[in-house]
Amino acid sequence: MVSFLANTLRTTGLNIKANRQVFMLSVATVAVAFSILGLFFLVHANLNALLSTWSKQVQLVIYLDDGISNTRLKALKKLFDDNEHIDSVHFISRDSAWKNFKSTFAEKSGFVAGLDLNPLPASYSLRFKEGLDRLKHIRQLVDELREGEGIESMEYGEKWISKFENFMIFLRFFILAVGGILGVGLVLIISNTIKLSIFSRREEIELMLLVGATHRSIKVPLILEGVVQGIGGVGIALGLIKLVHLYIKLQFQGSLESIFRGADLQFITQSFLWPMLLAGVIIGWVGSLISINQFLHSEDRR
Amino acid sequence: MIQVFNLIKTYGGGAPALADISFSVKDGEFVFLTGPSGAGKTTLFKILFGGEKYDRGQVLVNGVNVGKLSEENLFFLRRDIGVVFQDYKLLPKKTVFENISFAQEVIGVPSKTIRTRTWEVLKSVGLTPKKDAYPLQLSGGEQQRVAIARALVNNPKIILADEPTGNLDPEISLKILNLFEKINQEGKTVIFATHSLEMLRAQNHRLLTLNRGKII
Ligand SMILES: Nc1ncnc2c1ncn2[C@@H]1O[C@H](COP(=O)(O)OP(=O)(O)OP(=O)(O)O)[C@@H](O)[C@H]1O
Ligand SMILES: [Mg+2]
Repeated sequence: MVSFLANTLRTTGLNIKANRQVFMLSVATVAVAFSILGLFFLVHANLNALLSTWSKQVQLVIYLDDGISNTRLKALKKLFDDNEHIDSVHFISRDSAWKNFKSTFAEKSGFVAGLDLNPLPASYSLRFKEGLDRLKHIRQLVDELREGEGIESMEYGEKWISKFENFMIFLRFFILAVGGILGVGLVLIISNTIKLSIFSRREEIELMLLVGATHRSIKVPLILEGVVQGIGGVGIALGLIKLVHLYIKLQFQGSLESIFRGADLQFITQSFLWPMLLAGVIIGWVGSLISINQFLHSEDRR
Repeated sequence: MIQVFNLIKTYGGGAPALADISFSVKDGEFVFLTGPSGAGKTTLFKILFGGEKYDRGQVLVNGVNVGKLSEENLFFLRRDIGVVFQDYKLLPKKTVFENISFAQEVIGVPSKTIRTRTWEVLKSVGLTPKKDAYPLQLSGGEQQRVAIARALVNNPKIILADEPTGNLDPEISLKILNLFEKINQEGKTVIFATHSLEMLRAQNHRLLTLNRGKII
């Protein structure tokens, strides 16, 4: 077993060395393709982080009619408390809203301080529990309360959030499509590289078969050769993406922080990292297997 | 044990290379296979080791139906058969020693055994002085002897030798013939293809003669 492993590794190494130009070209192609894909992932990861930071701050603010009755007020409070999706309920009376407003703007405008009349409504501010369905729950509640007694208006930034969400869905499909196309292309490229590798050792492999080598002992080094190309390309791509990530971070840190409201600039997240490496392995595996099987089962050899 | 029943093999659309032949070779037998050029000797060997498909008939080698073996399982049959190919099939980028070692490596012989076995067979064909030469640096006859050494190195039960002395002068030819006979006496089955009348006359072995794909 140990010697099979050692032999396999040695054979793979020799093959790569014998075909290093084609090998390098193949690795470089994989690297370029995965860099493109990785940059999309990077964009996706960061927008996602942005969306979740923002939507964490999303609250449903319900402005109340000035003349709302006490019973209605209590009924609403009970409705909110009973809603299992709501994390916290915060009541802001007209007076405290006015006080907040004044303390925020007092210095800036003497005019406000001098105002006697309180123009602000009372409100409930609801923070929803985190989760994928948060917006759905917010919308549900909004639908329920719309036109309800004692409610003046409701606000939670609906429009831009759904736009953003739709864009993220589009982006995900886009990445999937681009990934799929690149994946097929890479399989073909690796399969072609392995075909060249087989071709350059055709005599040797044929002799191996003639003296009784198993298909496995011929397949394994070639599959390994394909997988090394896949993983190598992905590895290089990850390195490149990391560099881009560092560069952006150093160059634009300040301005980004304000956009991202404290969320750090993301590198490709774990949930993309492993699938990317796995994709590299699979692409290499499938690509080489195609050519190996084509060769081993080609009719003209028998 | 090799058993062939009503074997027919046609390449493309031409006349059959093997036209309904039947014969059997018992374990431990030594058989000369002869016949003019194009008679079908090489084709028959290829079919015996699963290197060529055939149209009809039955081919059993050690009880295994060769035509029914899948590609994946051919190795099993081939480890029992040592073939001296008519065109040698030596690997030009490997030395004599490496060529012979390689045939053992690929079937997983431990490396210690490989060294000693390679020495042994090189000695038996008289090629130890050339062990580090590359095939293209050897004469035709020397290349042929490397091919013979490689066919013998894994101790196969059956040896198919396709004109193994075609390029050798009579004196070495007889030595090589004696080598195969010695191996035969150790219990191996040998089918020895040759045109050479000298060979055929030198020893009294059973003769299989092919002509235009038929046994006569
Ligand atoms: N791969 C092939 N494709 C087409 N025809 C072939 C092929 N191999 C052999 N033949 C034909 O089959 C017939 C038998 O060939 P084969 O090589 O078996 O003869 P042989 O007895 O070994 O001849 P020689 O003594 O010259 O080696 C010949 O007519 C040859 O032209
Ligand atoms: Mg021939």
